[in-house]
Amino acid sequence: MRVDFRMLLARLVVYGAALVLITLCGFPLLWMVLTSIKPDREILSATPTFWTDSPHFEAFERLFETTNFLTYFANSLIVAGSATVLTVFVGALAAYGITRFRFRGRELVAGSMLFTYMFAPIMIVVPFFIVMRNLGLVNSHLGLILSYTTFSLPFSMWLLRSFFQSIPIDLEEAAMVDGASRPQAVIRVILPMAFPGLIAVSIFTFIVAWNDYLFARVLIASDNLKTLPVGIQDLYESTVTDWGMVMAAGVMITLPALAFFIVVQRYLVAGWGAGAVKG
Amino acid sequence: MHDAVARTETLDHGEPPPRGRRIPEHWWGYVLLAPAVILVLGLILYPVVYSFWISLHAKHAYLPIETFIGLENYAALLDDDECFWRGLRLGAIFAVSSVGLQLVVGVAAAMLLNESFVGRAFARGVTLFPYMVPMIVVVILMRWIFNDSYGVLKYLLQASGLVDDPIIWFSPDNVMLTLILVSTWTFFPFVVIGTLARLQTIDPELYAAAKVDGAGPLRRFYHVTLPQIRNVLFVIVLLRFMFMFTKFDLIWLFAGAGGLGYYVRTLPVYTYVRTFGELQVGAGAALSVTLFLMLVIFSIFYFTTFRRDEQL
Repeated sequence: MRVDFRMLLARLVVYGAALVLITLCGFPLLWMVLTSIKPDREILSATPTFWTDSPHFEAFERLFETTNFLTYFANSLIVAGSATVLTVFVGALAAYGITRFRFRGRELVAGSMLFTYMFAPIMIVVPFFIVMRNLGLVNSHLGLILSYTTFSLPFSMWLLRSFFQSIPIDLEEAAMVDGASRPQAVIRVILPMAFPGLIAVSIFTFIVAWNDYLFARVLIASDNLKTLPVGIQDLYESTVTDWGMVMAAGVMITLPALAFFIVVQRYLVAGWGAGAVKG
Repeated sequence: MHDAVARTETLDHGEPPPRGRRIPEHWWGYVLLAPAVILVLGLILYPVVYSFWISLHAKHAYLPIETFIGLENYAALLDDDECFWRGLRLGAIFAVSSVGLQLVVGVAAAMLLNESFVGRAFARGVTLFPYMVPMIVVVILMRWIFNDSYGVLKYLLQASGLVDDPIIWFSPDNVMLTLILVSTWTFFPFVVIGTLARLQTIDPELYAAAKVDGAGPLRRFYHVTLPQIRNVLFVIVLLRFMFMFTKFDLIWLFAGAGGLGYYVRTLPVYTYVRTFGELQVGAGAALSVTLFLMLVIFSIFYFTTFRRDEQL
């Protein structure tokens, strides 16, 4: 019976550890949601309540009505959405060019793409700011969109290249023999097959753009152009902290990133698998 | 390399028949690649080279002042005990402690998530949460949880009897510790993802054999698991250290410029303060370049040490 006891103990340890891990990772987010719907007297209390009987959405109303939150939110959507579309477009063009045509410097470009990750944002931001100012792109969404597109491109090209490589050239040729032009062949044959890769690139770029603080801080000055991270920081620092409202903002910023990730992660998993096996 | 060879062969074999194009086929390669290459060259590589140039000047952020001063910006750094050397020390403390904790927690969590138990898929999903949350949210959320008066952590620690007097997390003495804990929370999932992927490829036979030989859990970890995940940990530690050493947004948002920020003013934060606070772009660029050189030196040192290790 000694063996059984040890196995039982091992199971207990596993479940206990799993509970600790889930609590550590999940509780802070649960606490954020809970704080955002609690009445103020429960928020500012030395003995916090772990459930509330009178949930309400007044913090969200305050956030939407008394601050510029919705402007920041729209700005973030515009910037992250545009950067995502642009990155997928430019990245797919480049990856297609690299995998389907032979030309000098092809391997050099492919090989040096990931090298750019040696440069952390803080190392680029100083000269970057000067360059953007000389281009007249300071304090504009276009400047931010181009920034995020550029920062996401090396990884995106690298990933899409492995996807495009895994698609047999014969399929395209078959379509072209059947009378399709090259662009038609790409749209009807290649893009659907590389879909998981396009999704992975979209998630990556969207999250980079949605989360970035540094470049948005440096490039944007006008309040009505600010994206969420910058807007929320200023909101947090400018007033006596309204914790319910700040947590409501936190919920609102986290949801799109999380939803985007959850909705598309099954494509992502499938994509990684396919890319890894064939690429 | 194999990949490239295979690719070329396919191309040779599969070159589409001539269709009477006016532009030679291979030109399309350049055309398609041009937008991406122009963006990366113009907005990443050019700025990096340009920052070397700026760092040799006394340059103001807005005023048209730009005087060539050679290496003076760098010389000033070496003399700057109060900010530069102190920033380097603080950055090293932050990066080493945080990466160390991320590694311990991350490997432990990966091993747990590699066991089979009911709800494992859920646990794996939840473990990615901290890494998915935008940095600004991590900061405001942790400022609330670690709050000195109403923070839930204060309540839990006191209610469970672990501490008698409340810990003032946001004080000069403790802010570095708080920052290390928070950074561990958000970044350890990165270690989990990499390690778990590798753990899943370990042959279960190895564990079975070790069990037959009478090895307990600890010895199985040291003699079976660790040698297998060593290579992936090598890369993870290098990447994590480089990321943490250059981390700006978390530290800056967490503690800000003045007051508390002084106690966690690492080199990336100092770079930002110099450039956008004091508007000394030349000095800021010199700091960026120095950070870059430090990473290069660190990588070389890291790789050579590791190789020596490998031979033993």
